[in-house]
Amino acid sequence: MQQEDAELLLSVGLFLLFTVGPILFSWIFGNIYQKKKQEELGARVKAFGTDNLTTLKTPPAQVSESGLLTANIIMSVSWWQKLLGGLKTIFGGQIRSWDGILDWARKEAMQRLREQASAKGFDNVINVRLETSEIQSSKGRNTAIEILAYGTGIKV
Amino acid sequence: MSSDESQPVQTIEMLMSNTETIPGHSIVQMLGVVTGSTVRAKHIGKDILAGFKNIVGGELKGYTELLQEARGQALQRLVMEANSRGANAIVNIRFATSAIAGGAAELMAYGTAVVVG
Repeated sequence: MQQEDAELLLSVGLFLLFTVGPILFSWIFGNIYQKKKQEELGARVKAFGTDNLTTLKTPPAQVSESGLLTANIIMSVSWWQKLLGGLKTIFGGQIRSWDGILDWARKEAMQRLREQASAKGFDNVINVRLETSEIQSSKGRNTAIEILAYGTGIKV
Repeated sequence: MSSDESQPVQTIEMLMSNTETIPGHSIVQMLGVVTGSTVRAKHIGKDILAGFKNIVGGELKGYTELLQEARGQALQRLVMEANSRGANAIVNIRFATSAIAGGAAELMAYGTAVVVG
């Protein structure tokens, strides 16, 4: 009797470890990791200071040199966020997990464009466009999104 | 590896812009629409790695680099086509990405080939 109880406990334990375990892991470490990365991005934006991007098409002054600049990023939600998002689609409404990821990805792509522009010696980036596209893994299980930010760098 | 991948990148001098003119230059002649595209699939190893990265979410660096490289190639093809038409600049460049089959994506760049003075 005692041994049967132990066996039952072990099997239930193993079952939980391989079902709930990864999700729990994803929830805890996903939150920590994403928060850390977002704080890093915030610090980078702050350290950069000015915003040299604009969506206007006309350059602000006489231009001496120009060039095309592109910056991209591919982002994905964690397993936990994917699960939450999946559940949320039953009821509809705002899906916070994807909300946050998309917003973060756009900020990151724009920051990369800014850094690239200043690294190449451009003063401003005009006509900045943001494009979003869906990337799927070969089995279609994991969906990620790509954000592409591009514009024309100018030296005034 | 296709043959044009081994060629040095950006050997051709070409002004590129996603605005309607090249800032600081004026358009002399228009030579029509030029396109450059490439279809890429992901490496299976990277796919598996990305699967693990998905546990915590966030950026998938391998894919970011892959698409960046692929887009560079699309741009290079765009430049080569414009060059064969005798253009020295491409204006109003746009990018488009479309998912073809599972795991493969087409990256395209298109614009108008022009001669600027």
